[in-house]
Amino acid sequence: MRPKTTVRTSGRRSWVSVCRCLLLAAFFMQLTAIWALAVGEPPPPKLINVADTRNMAPGISKWIADIYNGNLWLYGLTVVSIMAGMGFALGTGFDRLMGLAGINLGRLEHHE
Amino acid sequence: MQMFDIYLPIAGLHFNVLLLLLIGFTVGVCGGFFGIGGAWIVTPALNIFGFPMPYAIGTDLAHMGGKSIVSTLRHGKFGNVDVKLGASMIIGTTVGMELGARLVIYLESIGLAESVIRKLYIFFLLFIGSYVLYDYISHVRRSKKAAVGKQPAGVSSETFAMRLQRIRIPPMLHFPTAGITCSVWLPILVGFTTGVVASVLGVGGGFIRMPALIYLVGCNTLVAVGTDLFEVMITGAYGAFTYGIKGRVDLLAAMWMLVGAAVGAQMGTIAVKYVRGYSIRLLFATTIFIACTSVLLKQLKMQTTSSVLILTAGILISGVIITLLFRGVFRELSARKKYETQMEQ
Repeated sequence: MRPKTTVRTSGRRSWVSVCRCLLLAAFFMQLTAIWALAVGEPPPPKLINVADTRNMAPGISKWIADIYNGNLWLYGLTVVSIMAGMGFALGTGFDRLMGLAGINLGRLEHHE
Repeated sequence: MQMFDIYLPIAGLHFNVLLLLLIGFTVGVCGGFFGIGGAWIVTPALNIFGFPMPYAIGTDLAHMGGKSIVSTLRHGKFGNVDVKLGASMIIGTTVGMELGARLVIYLESIGLAESVIRKLYIFFLLFIGSYVLYDYISHVRRSKKAAVGKQPAGVSSETFAMRLQRIRIPPMLHFPTAGITCSVWLPILVGFTTGVVASVLGVGGGFIRMPALIYLVGCNTLVAVGTDLFEVMITGAYGAFTYGIKGRVDLLAAMWMLVGAAVGAQMGTIAVKYVRGYSIRLLFATTIFIACTSVLLKQLKMQTTSSVLILTAGILISGVIITLLFRGVFRELSARKKYETQMEQ
């Protein structure tokens, strides 16, 4: 006959796990709140759409800012192209990397 | 930490790169696992850390399009994306979103927009979360009865989706990946309805479409996740372009977020391999309830608390998903090693 303490011990273990999760959640919330308070308020809204390139060194940031200041339609197309291109490249690259870990990445059987 | 600060010329502020990578990674994991865009995590997270709201929305939409490509590619290889079904739904969603936008303008003109939308948002989140949780509990009870022998295994009553599939309004189409045959008007109407709701609420709609695909169209969970991501990919690209030409996308921030999101999306997508459909639904319901709490806090004018809650919850949920991934990978590799050892013997 199984002693009653086994049921009590497993119940106590569940409560300990729940308390641990709550403590972890509280810790993360504290960290995030402290970080958010340190950052402060967002800057005031811009009156016109201009990126400040006066003190920017040449590079990808300046190239993006120049397109933004030059033509917003071209900027919109650039955003979509870069996001799609990066998504495809990163997706394919990380897919190959995960495959190297030895995981079977073939078709799945659909179990509910 | 300041050495990781970069200047974002479009938004006009300095921002921590690690934070962009973390936000991208968190929403990538959740997005790849649940089939959602994750705007309700990213937008408040960016805003509380200093991003002006219009730029937060535009930048999120831009990175969402790219991140969804990563997840859709992987889900496609898993066999979870029904392109035909997704394309049918997009037709309805596009029309629905346009109608939803006009409805909002009408509500605004009669001074009811704020109060109606606020209550509608909380209602939908509570309804979706509760229904998915109820479905999970019912499934667990049925499984227990089947295990004890009180009910034959595999016997289940006809679902609402099955009844909708039997409505014969031509053209009837077979959706091979989802494994269903129904009138094409079913996914179009479901897409239309979810589009209206999403547009009125001002969200992408992934958290509405994913359960709609399961409970109204009749897909299994994995196909619902994959097909929804296919739609998020299209709407994300459109949103990126619209906000881009309005000058409200910080491309540099979106690129950094996408790097984090690509890693997260890959991990979140692969995690579905090791989790059964109903467990995904349980985690989804939990996420929806947390989102509902966050919205309620926002209505109580506790903006910062609401944003902190949603970001923290996102980090914890992605932690759970990654734990499930590592556990599953470890078991798979151990089982394979054991099998290879036995074969050698």
